[in-house]
Amino acid sequence: MIDMKDVSKVYENGAMALDHVNVHIDKGEFVFIVGASGAGKSTFIRMLFREVLPSDGSLIVNGQDVVHMDHSDVPYLRRGLGVIFQDYRLLPDKTVTENVAFAMQVIEAPRRKIQHSVNAVLDIVGLRDKYKCFPSQLSGGEQQRVAIARAIVNHPALVIADEPTGNLDPETSWDIMDIFKRINADGTTIVMATHDKGIVDAMKRRVIAIEDGHIVRDEAQGVYGYEN
Amino acid sequence: MKISTGEYIIRETMLSLKRNSWMSFASIGTVAVSLFVFGMFLILVVNMNRMTDSLESQVEISVYVKDEVNEGGIRTLEERITAMQGIESVKFVDREKAMERFRDRLGDQQFLLDALGDTNPLPNSFEVRVIRPDMVRTAAEAIAELPGVETAKYGQDVVEHLFDITRLVRLFGLALMFVLALATLFIISNTIRLTVFARRKEVAIMKYVGATDWFIRWPFLLEGVVLGCLGGIVAALVLRGAYRVIAAKIYDTLTFFPLIPENPFLHYVTAAILVCGMGIGALGSTISLKKFLKA
Repeated sequence: MIDMKDVSKVYENGAMALDHVNVHIDKGEFVFIVGASGAGKSTFIRMLFREVLPSDGSLIVNGQDVVHMDHSDVPYLRRGLGVIFQDYRLLPDKTVTENVAFAMQVIEAPRRKIQHSVNAVLDIVGLRDKYKCFPSQLSGGEQQRVAIARAIVNHPALVIADEPTGNLDPETSWDIMDIFKRINADGTTIVMATHDKGIVDAMKRRVIAIEDGHIVRDEAQGVYGYEN
Repeated sequence: MKISTGEYIIRETMLSLKRNSWMSFASIGTVAVSLFVFGMFLILVVNMNRMTDSLESQVEISVYVKDEVNEGGIRTLEERITAMQGIESVKFVDREKAMERFRDRLGDQQFLLDALGDTNPLPNSFEVRVIRPDMVRTAAEAIAELPGVETAKYGQDVVEHLFDITRLVRLFGLALMFVLALATLFIISNTIRLTVFARRKEVAIMKYVGATDWFIRWPFLLEGVVLGCLGGIVAALVLRGAYRVIAAKIYDTLTFFPLIPENPFLHYVTAAILVCGMGIGALGSTISLKKFLKA
């Protein structure tokens, strides 16, 4: 699913965010990316959906060569991915249904399919009864569930989550993790950057630790390994 | 493009125009003012061109014939001038007719001629017109070479001045139009930039979920075109009204003034304004989106 070889990233200001990183992630894996702020976690995550381009090395995501891709092919790479952020990034003037449907509208899906798929994912995240609400009427956890619904509505092979529980209390975080687990159980690969020691330690999934742009640890059933 | 996508684009455009109604209003106003001035100069330049053309074409060569040339010689001369290149018309004016005209022109001061008694000092002459104003000089020079011709004169200075003035007006008009086009472009691209900025989150999400650049671009492009078009309509309506009023005034007082008639001239001007407005609107949006879509 992800094949990162010798990837480095040097920003224009000269900062080296990643230094010859090699990672291979198989289809169906659930991977945590951990590390302190500024360690290169965010760069790693943003490279996967080509918001950041590697300065050096090769990167294959979902069978597509991210480095040598034409600018015009980027949308098609992203259609195979679902992206989730810490701040949800919902559209405030659209309802729950509209926010989720938006992801299908912009890739020009047929209307009937949109309705069907939106209802299905709202069931998965448990928000079917709040479909008419606006984001401002929802709690943080509910908003993040809408964001997850939007990310998975196009059936991506890979879900990328950047600190999805960063703004949530522990109990709500666990609700979100339950949804991720279910999505993963259906065969979707999940790569999640997090600071949440409790979650990482309890989930017992693969953990990749990044420090100063290097991978310092890659364990199949790892723990967070830092003191929060 | 799918029908639902078309609907989406139109809905988004209308929504955005409504949401930023004050900004939209302001930019339509600015576009209208710019296009009005643009149209005004267009009308002015075209009318000036027309006027100088018509003045230029009225410039005649006066060919004075030597007194010793007899009637047969005059006829030969007329034939030879008519046969020359670029000659539109040749009209013979005999000395009696010339005297008559002179008398008429003097009006109240005809007594001045009394001193002449019965003698007529005016020569026989031809009034020669050329097809194009720029042929006047060569034609006059060639005619002066003919046997039996005393001199061939035309308003050299007047023609040269007319050429200079016309050139200056055209140049000034073009320069002003260019500056105004740039200003309008700037205004529209700024308005669209604000719209894009207001919707940057939406655009960012569109990019994350895999919308193509064109899908993102369309509503903004359409918004720019609509702004340009609405501004153009306002400008065109005002200009048409103004031209009608001014033309009516001019016809009342200066009947000989070669003003271009309203139809179909005003239709062309309207079309030019609308095309410019929409083109500038589209270009303005493209400019402000270019940087935004790159990332």
